[in-house]
Amino acid sequence: MARRELWSEGCFRRRCPARWCPLPGTLLAGTSGEGPCFLEETDLVLGAAVIMAARLLVWASRQLLAGAGAGVGAGTGRLTFKTAPRQVKKRWLRAYLEQERSEKPNWDYHAEIQAFSHRLHENFSLDLLKTAFVNSCYIESEEARRRELGLDKETIALNLQDNSKLAEEGMSFSRSYLTQCFEGAYPELPAEGIGALVDFLTSQELVSYVAQNLSIQDLTLCKEFPAPPDVLQRTFFAVIGALLGSSGLEKTGIFVRDFFIPQLIGKDLFEIWQVVNPMGLLVEELTKRNISSPEPRITRQLGVSTVLPVYFVGLYCDKKIIAEGPGETLLAAEEEAARVALRKLYGYTENRRPWDYSKPKQGLATEKAISSS
Amino acid sequence: MTSRGSPSRFLTSVLHNGVGRYVRQLQRLQLLFSPTAADARGARQFVEEVAVDFARKHPDVVLYVRPCSNPTPVLVAEYLNGTVREELITSKTSEEILQLATKLAGQSGLDIIRIRKPFHTDNPSIQGQWHPLTNKPSILTVRGPRLQAQ
Repeated sequence: MARRELWSEGCFRRRCPARWCPLPGTLLAGTSGEGPCFLEETDLVLGAAVIMAARLLVWASRQLLAGAGAGVGAGTGRLTFKTAPRQVKKRWLRAYLEQERSEKPNWDYHAEIQAFSHRLHENFSLDLLKTAFVNSCYIESEEARRRELGLDKETIALNLQDNSKLAEEGMSFSRSYLTQCFEGAYPELPAEGIGALVDFLTSQELVSYVAQNLSIQDLTLCKEFPAPPDVLQRTFFAVIGALLGSSGLEKTGIFVRDFFIPQLIGKDLFEIWQVVNPMGLLVEELTKRNISSPEPRITRQLGVSTVLPVYFVGLYCDKKIIAEGPGETLLAAEEEAARVALRKLYGYTENRRPWDYSKPKQGLATEKAISSS
Repeated sequence: MTSRGSPSRFLTSVLHNGVGRYVRQLQRLQLLFSPTAADARGARQFVEEVAVDFARKHPDVVLYVRPCSNPTPVLVAEYLNGTVREELITSKTSEEILQLATKLAGQSGLDIIRIRKPFHTDNPSIQGQWHPLTNKPSILTVRGPRLQAQ
């Protein structure tokens, strides 16, 4: 009976993707004023006996249904509290979840675009921003759909511009700006290292991750659903291109800095930049600086005859230690020591100064970036 | 319930929010209410008196107001990371609804579960992890004979 009511009511709430579904035992933060605060079966039954009996019963039965669905995996009836693996959705709900956000109720594209621009604290020109969200695959699929419907040729043409040009602009600008930033911040870092950092920050994986957490997949117009990572990456760069067109170089530079560079927090240089032979690189760097080649020495060792030995290798130049690194074998320890020495040389140690996110005084870096791109 | 049994997480933020700039994580707020029901009185009052001010104050949140046939009045909050939260506003006054909406606007959309510690760092140790050789001299250090105690 409860099921039937769910269907007949036909309100959005019943069909909504209940990702945050208050299961029995969940602390409801918002309902502290009235109603059951800590939901349990007993509370629900008691609560149903009080006012609003009919409505709460429907609600409670829904909760119990949801609880029963989740409880299958957990085994216990009470602790049906599983947040990490979401409960398996009902088939009718799954069909609903496979909709784009724009196909669900309450969607105003213009308002969403405006809110997006306010959310990022930028003054986009809305026409450019709307263009940035149009992918070429969307135009193709939409025109094909219209053709299938048998519309005449004039109405088939959408007269939309796609975002490929903006994406290109945004991509080249962010790459050159980031390169400029890193060259300023780590003057000792060689070009390959800077290139690796920039490649990492503009990689499809990272950019699509950033775009997803800015909810660009809801706004972007593309053929497939969910939007594939390459589309997300292109759209995000197109947004940067649109900002470049509407707010100028300096603001776009700050935008790129604010959204890309925090992704380096907690990352090691050699996680991003794969160096096969750090010792060779170190020797090269030292010869450039006219320092004699490093001499590896075992400084400490422990448990050499066991299966878990640990060696510490120090690198000495002119009888002065430049770096020390641990390892399970002598070779690994030597390599690690070389990496430590390289990090020190490049100024990219773990205890380096945090990135300066304050407002730049002059737009020098951006001017250089645009002249080089 | 003991704290070990309940789900928990570490203190995090979406995309290191606030390191570069602060991005409000609430993207959409839907207010669904009945145009006639008694328990939606506060919701209707909210729409009449407060909703426009709220929307003006939060230009980065899209506020949808929708009278439905006869549902429980509810606030549906959608966050940038895909979380959807529903808050019942049955029999709440418009001030309470405003308070709730403001609270939802300030939240990050991450799961509201126990946070293990009120602080978090990616580098838990400044000196490095302890190992059996911490603070031990190197084997290369040549140690001279000890001075005789006089």
